[in-house]
Formats: sequence, structure tokens, C-alpha cells
Amino acid sequence: MNPMVDMAFLLVSFFMMTTTFKTDTPVDVVMPSAHVDLKVPSTDVCLVTIGDDERVFIGIDNKFDRKRMLEVVGKQNNQTFSEAEKGRFSLLSSTGMPIKEISRMLKLPREEQKQVVQPGIPMTEENNEFRQWIIAARLANPRLRFAIHADEGVSFPVVELCFNTLQDLNITRFNLITEAKKDDPGTRRH
Amino acid sequence: MIPALEDIEVERIHRGNDSEKKAERKSVNVDMNPMVDLAFLLLTFFMLATTFSKPQAMELLIPAKADASNTEKEMAVKESKTLSLVLHSDELTWYRGITDPETFNVAYDSKEFHQVLNTHVSTIDGLVVLIKPQEGSNYGQLVSVLDALNLEGVKRYAISELSEFDQGLNQPSDETTEGDGE
Repeated sequence: MNPMVDMAFLLVSFFMMTTTFKTDTPVDVVMPSAHVDLKVPSTDVCLVTIGDDERVFIGIDNKFDRKRMLEVVGKQNNQTFSEAEKGRFSLLSSTGMPIKEISRMLKLPREEQKQVVQPGIPMTEENNEFRQWIIAARLANPRLRFAIHADEGVSFPVVELCFNTLQDLNITRFNLITEAKKDDPGTRRH
Repeated sequence: MIPALEDIEVERIHRGNDSEKKAERKSVNVDMNPMVDLAFLLLTFFMLATTFSKPQAMELLIPAKADASNTEKEMAVKESKTLSLVLHSDELTWYRGITDPETFNVAYDSKEFHQVLNTHVSTIDGLVVLIKPQEGSNYGQLVSVLDALNLEGVKRYAISELSEFDQGLNQPSDETTEGDGE
């Protein structure tokens, strides 16, 4: 049995070293495919998720940054969150709640939080809470890089508004997350 | 190997004392099953929880917002050096120049589209591609166009606003106008 056990432990250590956990994405996103091979940075990254129903979510990889982000957003909107609420918020990988409704969700127990259908962060010309979140994220961690994880079916006006908001805040370099694409007969490399 | 002096000493002391020798040699049997169970449990967990296909990222640079302080940085581009791509919901229209251009339609991600880009890149020095998505187009189409531009080595491109002419390009088949495109 020893060789088998040895191998099992070898595999365990291998997986422990290499694994990066799936973050639970709030919406299913079909990524567009492209011939790029640039890895998405895994630290200091702010992920903007846009689902095919055009709900917008924002998340930071680091939970301490998430906590700070909530504090800043709260301060801007004259909302205070208790330590427990902040702690609960920092455990959520991403958020898509209008600012007014966040504390209502954070009061729920953890199991019920997952069942709440988050309506997405409001992102319109008149009510651009998304902008506030981005500012807060930057204040929480100035080294943050932004990545857009949008469904390929998201209509252009939504994408444009998202780009414009980032541009407006002087974020001119960001990543578009795509799936690696294999060459097919329709395309051709030179 | 030469045994160390201490070992010889120990051996000499122990020789002839059989009962003590036996007690020392006694093998210890540890039940390894729980440990193995745990190892396999962890193995299964990590195998299921891990993600192997890491998504790729496409870097996109957009110009800083034009305001009063940096308007002089904005450059005028010769009409003849521009190539416009108007993205519709099902295909895209391309044309050269701005005044009375001749328009052509191609499918997204098609061989023809790549050829169009390739010929323009190789013939026009300092080509600027203007990407003009119409409202009906989506993010996937935008990314596929950006990908094609990167593949064909287009250095300069911009996502720009639709002109009136571009907005009229909804019915591509009867919009073709005459012009040399220069």
C-alpha cells in the first residue's frame, strides 16, 4: 500500500500548491474568445463582472481591500456599517447591490445571502453608483488593476458606459478577460 | 563503512543480552488507513476545486479623457490614413477615409476581414483604425474585432463615436455610395 499512499500524498501536495480556487461568480458569464495569451493578474485585481442580463458586479481579490472599499462607499453615502457587517461583506467575493440595500442584505445569515438575487450595481448616466465603487476600490488599494469580465452578449452601450466611467476616472489601461481561442478555418494567422 | 566508536561500544554492551535485543527490534504497526482516507479525501477535494483553464486577458488602452489641459495632445489624422469599421449586430462595414467613402460589408472574424486588415496594414503607413460600434452590436463582437486588429498587427486603433453617416449604415445593402475612398 505504501507506494499508493506515497503517490496520493504527492498528488495532494501538487494540487495544494497549484490550486487557485474558483471564486463563486454571481452570474454565469460566457467569455468572448480571443487569440491572446496574457494571464489575468491574480493579485491586486478588481473584477468588474457584467452578466448577459447586464447586471454589474464588482469584486476585489483581497478581502481586506473589500472591507476598506465598503467603508469608503459607506462614508460617501452617509451610511455606517457595523464591524460584523463589514466582516460579512468582506467574505463576499463580489457585490451587485445598490448601496441603499447593502445593509439589508448583510443582516441576513450567510446561507440566505447567497440566495438573494442581487439586482446589480446601478450604472446609468444619472445614477452611476458603479463610479463610486470604482473610486472606493482605488482608494482601498491604489495599485489595483481593473479587469472586465463581461458576457459576450452584453450590448455595446453598456460596455461603452463602463469604459467611459473608467476613462473618466483616468483608468486608461485595463484588461478584458477572454477565453483562449484555438485557430479555426475561419481565421488565419499571418 | 567503518562503524563509529560509540556504536561498537553499544553493540558490545548489548551482546549476550537477548531479551533486551528483542524488545528493541519489535516492529511498530501503525494503522495507516485513516491517514490514507484523509489523503484521498484531500486529493479529491483539491482535484474538484481547482481550476486549470485560467482565463486570458486582453490588454486595452484607452486615451485619457480630453479636457482643457490636454486638448493639444489630440492629434489630427489624415483622412486617407483612416480605416473605419462600423459594427452592426450581424456583420461589419468597413470604409477608407471619411468623405463619401465606398463601403464594404464583411462577416465578423471571417477570412475576408483579416485580409482587408492585412492589406491595409501593409499598404498604409501609420494606419489608424476607427472602431465604431452601433448600438445593436455587442461586447463579443467588439472583442473579436480587437482580437483581429491585434493579430494583424494594427498598432493604432480607437473606439470612436458614430458619425451621422455611420448611423445610416443600418441597411448595408442599399447604402453603398460611390467614391474613391481617399
